[in-house]
Amino acid sequence: MRTVYVFVVVLGLAAIVGQHLTSPSSGRAVSPEDFAGACAPCGAPCPSKK
Amino acid sequence: MTTATLAAPAARTGAGIDVLFLVLAVLATAVITALVLLDGQVASAALVLGGFALGIAFWKAEFSFTASWRRFLNRGEAGGMIGGLIVIAIAALAVVPVAALFPNYGGAIAPLGPSLIVGAFVFGIGMQLANGCGSGTLYTAGGGSGRMLIALVFFMAGSVWGSLSLPSFLALGGIDPIIASDYLGPWGGLVATLASIVVGAAIIAAIARKRGANWKPSRNYIIGGVAIGLLCVFVFAAGGHPWSVTFGYTIWGAKIASALGLDLSTAPFWQWPGPKQALTNSVLSDTSSLTDFGMLFGAMAAAAATRPFAAAAWPPFKSLLAAAVGGLLMGWGARLGFGCNIGAFVGGIASGSVHGWVWFLACLPGCMIGIRLRPLFGLSRD
Repeated sequence: MRTVYVFVVVLGLAAIVGQHLTSPSSGRAVSPEDFAGACAPCGAPCPSKK
Repeated sequence: MTTATLAAPAARTGAGIDVLFLVLAVLATAVITALVLLDGQVASAALVLGGFALGIAFWKAEFSFTASWRRFLNRGEAGGMIGGLIVIAIAALAVVPVAALFPNYGGAIAPLGPSLIVGAFVFGIGMQLANGCGSGTLYTAGGGSGRMLIALVFFMAGSVWGSLSLPSFLALGGIDPIIASDYLGPWGGLVATLASIVVGAAIIAAIARKRGANWKPSRNYIIGGVAIGLLCVFVFAAGGHPWSVTFGYTIWGAKIASALGLDLSTAPFWQWPGPKQALTNSVLSDTSSLTDFGMLFGAMAAAAATRPFAAAAWPPFKSLLAAAVGGLLMGWGARLGFGCNIGAFVGGIASGSVHGWVWFLACLPGCMIGIRLRPLFGLSRD
């Protein structure tokens, strides 16, 4: 199990770093609920807005 | 690093410290923190460190919503559930008034309808099969449970599946979020929220007493509950909204699925502004991912600081299957139910949003079914 963990941690960290360096950044970290019209933490719209 | 080194932790650990994994955990946290600081994002760094502290707090207190709720349903013991309400009450002291008074802050709100109820119910089944909820999966996977690592992978997959199902369930109808402070103002909303928590605790304690079981939280749950509650306030202050866990899993799963060639960009969920931006932007631009990463590595550091890390053998296949099925159900349920024990239950109630209590009441029957299903996978009902 330890070998699996070392593999997962190293691969996961490499993926995080690689993805971060090759993707645009919004500056301040945000959550979908920060966007206008969001009615839930995932950014779903309000029933009344449909 | 050799295989022999990895397979024989006791030979190179002093005083119970697993140096390899302690260094890995601290190094990974330092790298992520440095990346966001290089972008000038101090609040993001605070979220990573807040998550790290949460990982330690959960690990040290062995704070488990899943086991607490199972003990309550099986034996009537209410101490763990009341410990969870301590977390919520402390978080509510900051979230309700601040979210109502300051425009840069918001609560965890969600609409009421079939999606919320079905999602929470399915989540409840999943959390008992997996033996961990959203936060539980994070800190036990981070703490060295390979079984929960599998639950986490399937949680991500289920969460992506849930993102595809959610718009159809929302189309069934529902009503807009009901938030106490909208009707009673910031302070009246806070009083109403705290009153609802006290009433909830009183009902839970009364049920425990009626069943002849203990209702008082253990010392671990009181200290852990206070620490986790204060960290919820810290994460709220840094992120601008209550702590949430499962959207991070959705994003991780969606990014992996996209890398494997699955085009999610045309799915309705991924066209909403928030998810759309999260799918294209850096994973470190998402607040829940930042705390999730911190929590994983915080739990890893806490575990590695006390004993050989991940030294246990893999559990039987049926137990791993339960983790996979549970993870999948939790992921799907979390998307439909607008979060897990943290985002929906803790965050929702602490925001004075009625959906938090609805989520709780819909999740409990799911837990009852999950508990009944556990023996099928070789797991005890307790």
